[in-house]
Amino acid sequence: MSEELKGLIVNTKCECGHQNPVGTVLCEACGKPLADEAASQDILEMRYDGVARRSQKENPGVIDLVWNFFSSVKVAIYLIIMTTIGSMLGSIYPQESTFLNIDPSVYYKEEYGQLGHIYYLLGLSHTYTSWWFVLLLVMIGASLVICSLDRVLPLYKALSRQRVPKHMSFLTRQRVTLQTDVNNEGTAWVDRITPLIRKKGYRVRTDGGTLLAEKQRFSRWGPYVLHIGLIVFLLAVLARGLPGLHMDTHMGFQEGEPKQIPDTSYYLENDGFTVQFYSEEDLPDEFKGKGKVLPEKFETQAILYECEANCDLGQEPELKEVMRHQIEVNHPLNYNGLKAYQFDYDLTPTIISVSPTLVHADSGEEFGQFTLNIRNPERTYEVGPYTMTLKEKYSDFGLNAEGKPSNMSSSQNAPAFLFLIQGPDLPEDGVQYFYFPKQIDKERFQQDALNKQLGGGELRFNLEVGSMEDVELSQSTTYLNIRIDKAMPFVWVGAGIGMLGLVLGFYFQHRRIWLRVDDGKLTLGAHTNKNWFGLRKEISSILKQMDLEVDEKSLVNNGGSQE
Amino acid sequence: MTGKSRKTVQVIILLAILMLGVYAIVTVVMGKEGVPKEGDQVPGFKLLGSDGAVHTLDDFDGQAKVINFWGTYCEPCVREMPALQEQWLKWKDQGVEVIGINVGEDKMTVENFAQKMGVEFPVLMDPNRDAVSDFRVGPMPTTFFVDSSGRIHHIRIGQLDLETLDKQIEQLVNGS
Repeated sequence: MSEELKGLIVNTKCECGHQNPVGTVLCEACGKPLADEAASQDILEMRYDGVARRSQKENPGVIDLVWNFFSSVKVAIYLIIMTTIGSMLGSIYPQESTFLNIDPSVYYKEEYGQLGHIYYLLGLSHTYTSWWFVLLLVMIGASLVICSLDRVLPLYKALSRQRVPKHMSFLTRQRVTLQTDVNNEGTAWVDRITPLIRKKGYRVRTDGGTLLAEKQRFSRWGPYVLHIGLIVFLLAVLARGLPGLHMDTHMGFQEGEPKQIPDTSYYLENDGFTVQFYSEEDLPDEFKGKGKVLPEKFETQAILYECEANCDLGQEPELKEVMRHQIEVNHPLNYNGLKAYQFDYDLTPTIISVSPTLVHADSGEEFGQFTLNIRNPERTYEVGPYTMTLKEKYSDFGLNAEGKPSNMSSSQNAPAFLFLIQGPDLPEDGVQYFYFPKQIDKERFQQDALNKQLGGGELRFNLEVGSMEDVELSQSTTYLNIRIDKAMPFVWVGAGIGMLGLVLGFYFQHRRIWLRVDDGKLTLGAHTNKNWFGLRKEISSILKQMDLEVDEKSLVNNGGSQE
Repeated sequence: MTGKSRKTVQVIILLAILMLGVYAIVTVVMGKEGVPKEGDQVPGFKLLGSDGAVHTLDDFDGQAKVINFWGTYCEPCVREMPALQEQWLKWKDQGVEVIGINVGEDKMTVENFAQKMGVEFPVLMDPNRDAVSDFRVGPMPTTFFVDSSGRIHHIRIGQLDLETLDKQIEQLVNGS
């Protein structure tokens, strides 16, 4: 135990008879300065009304030591400074998370040289997701909670249990103080001044020749309300890590095909995408005549569905429309916290389905029509007297290294279908027929020559598409940024509480006036947490009504020094 | 408040802060390191199999797994298919499962291919590349060797031949 603490214990009992806890600076009952430090002050330090903080106790155990560490404002300031420095370091080079696909162990060296490599090795390339940075934030959070609790509870107790009579040295060592003769009996004088003080909005309590007037005490809770707001804010940000509370992803939507938004029961459909480009004369000068195409406005007609049944993977979902919205840049779709922002687009059309007609190659006789879904075709189609069995399907047709038909990629660049046609006048095991729905592929892969070869030198059939009505196209793909942030309302609540705390603390002042009349002599002390000028003015005007001319400036307690 | 209950409150508050702190640090640090490495737990998946049923990682609980990402458009993937099939036959009775995850193709393409190549081990389909992004698969083929406790034992990028595959599976079985 330190010498200082020992000294404090000896002095905990005040001359007024009140037993104060260890660490009390000003007697909880009469306000007499107790600690040596306070006793030597010309103007009393009124922070927390001089009560002991919770953490100040004798024989601190391990728990108390941890508690004391976090209850220190000094520690809090160091934590904030360290966090600030950390944040600054993290902003020197771009963070890893800003790149989609890089190998940070080489990227930083290549891009920023040796310094960049050191930056990476120190782990600063992911500062904000490093254990030490999060630890600092958690410690600030802990400090916020513990500092507040450690002070607000004793302060609350002290302010709700204030006694009216105060020690003479408490009054004369306030920053606003006055001693003057009133030549009047104490109780009568106090009774006379009470209504005048009340008129100024004070709550007044009297005890014989002593008085305590107080207003806007709630302003004292401002900082603590702010802290609660910050804690809610921090917790809300932390909660974003919980599954389902936060999503930020980019998805492409082909026209006309509802697509599930991952980890939700929602499906979104691009029901048409339009884009307007700037005309040549509207382009900025630096782009003119360069053949640049700049989009002026692009928007997606979006339909949002919710899956009602058969929502499991591999089932045909039953969708119910819940919302339609025209998504434009800065005008996202917003449904119960699910937001879809316009992000990008691709105007390459893709075939969704074709409805070709099977015709005789020579006579042109039509046998029948069927609809071929490019992505999800049927295994067999009955077309007139013929049965067409789909043997092979390619999304991006090509020939592999061995010269065999194969997929070149998983995208729908060059869809191709190999059918086996069986029916009248055909060999028993049918004839094979390759079909390329895209005209460009038909030519590139020489569909007719190929089929002639497959048909043993004879081209029997053709699959013909009469008009564009037989082709279902997706004109475009729109890329949307899908965001869910269910923690956001709590972030706002936290911010709101914080703002309330700031208003309470900044725009209101806790003013108190104590006075006592001893043998015709008035001693007045007053305290506020800000706007001392206003307080002095108020006191001066009250005293004026009591026929006491007191200059505002004379109320200032210089404590022997110039203010 | 008595001294004792005050102490209890203090302990509760400190514990709550500790728990939240550990949670925050663990989620942030884990979340960032999304790239699965050897020694890490294998990411989960939920995919439709070519058998029409939904399969998750839990379906293969307790088994050593060889998870192979492939596509019919990836020639080395196609070349290593017979080796995978052969090793599946060899090891399946010893608690090793070979799982092929097709990347980006449709059911018919996958079915036709499996039939043509004689692939009998479970094949799952990842048309939207969800598993690809969770596993951070870059070039294909990529094969994850996962022990029975779900830990990634080895990651192989590139074509596997029969011998290497056999050796890897043997290490996987003996190591776990």
